[in-house]
Amino acid sequence: MTRADGSWSRLGHGAAGLGGLLLLMEAVPRLGLVDERFLPPASRILATLAGELATPGLWIALGQTMRGWAAGLALAFGAAVVTGVVIGVVPGLRALTSSTVEFLRPIPSVALVPLATLLFGPSLGSTLMLVVYAAFWQVLIQVLYGVAAVDPVASDTARSYGLSAWSRIRRLVWPTALPYVMTGLRLAAAVAFILAVTAELVIGSPGLGAQIQVAQSSGAVPTVYALIVLAGLVGIAVNAAVRLLERRVLAWHPAVRSEVPA
Amino acid sequence: MLEIHDLRKVYDGRGRHVEAIASVTLSVAAGELVCVVGPSGCGKTTLLRAVAGLLPVSGGEVAVDGRRVTGPPPGTAVVFQEYGRSLFPWMTVRQNVELPLKEKGLPAGRRRALVAGSLDAVGLADAADAHPWQLSGGMQQRVAIARAVAYEPKVLLMDEPFAAVDAQTRADLEDLILRLWRDLGMTVLFVTHDIDEAVYLGQRVVVLSASPTTVMEDLKIDLPAARDQLTTRSLPRFGELRGHVYRQIQRARAHHDDARGTP
Amino acid sequence: MSATGPPGDARPATAAGDVRVRGAGAAGDARPGGGVRVRVLGAVRRVVCLVALPALLVLLWWAVSGSSFYLPGPAAVGRAFAETWFSARLLDDVLPSVGRLLAGYALAALLGVGLGVPIGSSPRLRATLEPVLEFFRAVPPPVLVPLIMLLAGIDTPMKVLVIVSGCVWPILLNTVEGVRALDEVLADTCRMYGISGMSRLRWFVLRGASPQIMTGLRQALSIGIILMVISEMFASSSGLGFTIVLFQRQFQIAEMWSGILLLGLLGLGLSLLFRRLERWVLAWYHGSGAARA
Repeated sequence: MTRADGSWSRLGHGAAGLGGLLLLMEAVPRLGLVDERFLPPASRILATLAGELATPGLWIALGQTMRGWAAGLALAFGAAVVTGVVIGVVPGLRALTSSTVEFLRPIPSVALVPLATLLFGPSLGSTLMLVVYAAFWQVLIQVLYGVAAVDPVASDTARSYGLSAWSRIRRLVWPTALPYVMTGLRLAAAVAFILAVTAELVIGSPGLGAQIQVAQSSGAVPTVYALIVLAGLVGIAVNAAVRLLERRVLAWHPAVRSEVPA
Repeated sequence: MLEIHDLRKVYDGRGRHVEAIASVTLSVAAGELVCVVGPSGCGKTTLLRAVAGLLPVSGGEVAVDGRRVTGPPPGTAVVFQEYGRSLFPWMTVRQNVELPLKEKGLPAGRRRALVAGSLDAVGLADAADAHPWQLSGGMQQRVAIARAVAYEPKVLLMDEPFAAVDAQTRADLEDLILRLWRDLGMTVLFVTHDIDEAVYLGQRVVVLSASPTTVMEDLKIDLPAARDQLTTRSLPRFGELRGHVYRQIQRARAHHDDARGTP
Repeated sequence: MSATGPPGDARPATAAGDVRVRGAGAAGDARPGGGVRVRVLGAVRRVVCLVALPALLVLLWWAVSGSSFYLPGPAAVGRAFAETWFSARLLDDVLPSVGRLLAGYALAALLGVGLGVPIGSSPRLRATLEPVLEFFRAVPPPVLVPLIMLLAGIDTPMKVLVIVSGCVWPILLNTVEGVRALDEVLADTCRMYGISGMSRLRWFVLRGASPQIMTGLRQALSIGIILMVISEMFASSSGLGFTIVLFQRQFQIAEMWSGILLLGLLGLGLSLLFRRLERWVLAWYHGSGAARA
């Protein structure tokens, strides 16, 4: 079987799977297996989604969500990379910080919801607080792992040739850690999106999550479904975008090159 | 014991048609040790997998003990080349050897005896509680052999089992196989790309052509039955047989290249 | 995130282990010198490394507290913690929350692995369902809370269902990936030796896929905690999430902080437990070096 054949047949199967899901979602309420009030038929969900997409309000909300996601992710990423490299490069710092990192990392970021509510109320600040906290650890752990992966022989060589700390970081540490950093970014991007929507949903910061909350409390069931579908599509787009970026950035890297299926 | 008649194997993908085995006819008598050699990429492994019932054939027939092979025949064990991948890394050596016996439904006492006996036979009685990844490559392959032996197979199939171990270990393992074969009276089909190994081990050596594969020669090895790494290998007859098989394989290769060059 | 094998997503766990081990190793560097004194010094150094920064942070907290109404001092939070949680609340709010989390998590694990094995075993089924599964996984789990409230009310079933609906996808997708990547030689070995049915599942499929299954379970655990808290923040009258939000609304700031602390400890405890479990389940995997390959 050639590769093109394979991917075409995969695509066909995948399309059949999606089609099957839509058919099921159409048939179950139509046949009365589940009350239409709770599960509208797929066609109505999609029609509602199309209708919503025609309103500027939805696009504004979507923009707000993406702004919170991107800003939070960028802040977390920058902070985590700097922190991680400093901890990794300065001798002894890793031993000193590891207990703190291990304690703070598993704290679920939703624990900060009440604090964010107090400090920022339903605004972008709340979203940022949750997103940054959640995404920071994902990146930091990967950076620490990446810096630890630097070959000690290469490191000694660099030092013996009198490379300055800065150029050691730039020429040795960063290239080695980059694949790990990108893994961290990929994981963080997904988590950041979850937390951005969560903040909107729970605290009421403006965005997609708040729209879902409003639709739910006003009993607009098809709208709730439509917005959830939209959230899933955005989630897929986010994942795809970060994967593309990862591939671009690491195009030269052997670890990625060997990963491409033959 | 083992009958292969006009075996054919064609790999058919969309738009691609590869004839791996054109026609192979071969029989192995009960208690015989037959080695199969051929140029690299000649479908030795394909042949063995077809005999093991792991690969559906495109034509012809394989029969083990008079029964036609459609899936792995009962009473047949295989030792694969990839020793690192044929043992379960999450089980100890003992558990690896014992699992097939459990599946056979043997009582615990009998299982224990078989496991102890086979590990003893391959010289790994002390390593029973180790995990495979704690052992060297040669030792791992011994575990795979012990598992096969404990299974008490009538037919033992070996797919280039020593291709990935070092020379000294390899000589030890060859002698181990000869000893086990003699003691247990199994029928052994041994696939290898190593001509020396084939002549040293086999009662017969079957030389395969390049792909699409046919049998080029079925050679009786008229060396004394008692074999020994030093004396057997220094016999003049050993050298002659070796040279003969070597020339056959060279011919197969040249023939193959000619066939490729003509169109 | 999509289902990635151990080289990608197993890293966080190994990374965490690595960070810890390295920390300990750096402190124990003096050991080759031998002698009790050196060893004692090493131990002292290790303890200092362990507590120095946390102590500094608490001190800092103490120093800046009082400057803001929202930041009570460590002593006040500690007192609130003891008063709030070592009381009837432990039985009424904390344990039911944790119980729901574990119930939902266990159900999701059962469902995820139970469906992941057949999907992973069949290339056709996999190709058909993968886009659907990827979609469900991409939906941020918290948005399902309003929906599931609609379908299942606001009681325990809803909360458990919310946790299941969020946790099941990473487990399912990673199981699919693990089963898909099972070693072919081992599969042939099973066929040759007549290892089939339940014992094939038990001795080969589940064990072989366990590194990926554990990755999925780890991802699901953090999602589960998030969902436990969120499901209780909506239209609820008990539970950990509800209580913390209640404190915030009533401006019981020290109590609120103690709740955040409790959630942190809960997260830490569960992640330590999970790491224990993982070490035990995957001892062979880390030993064989496959994790580092």
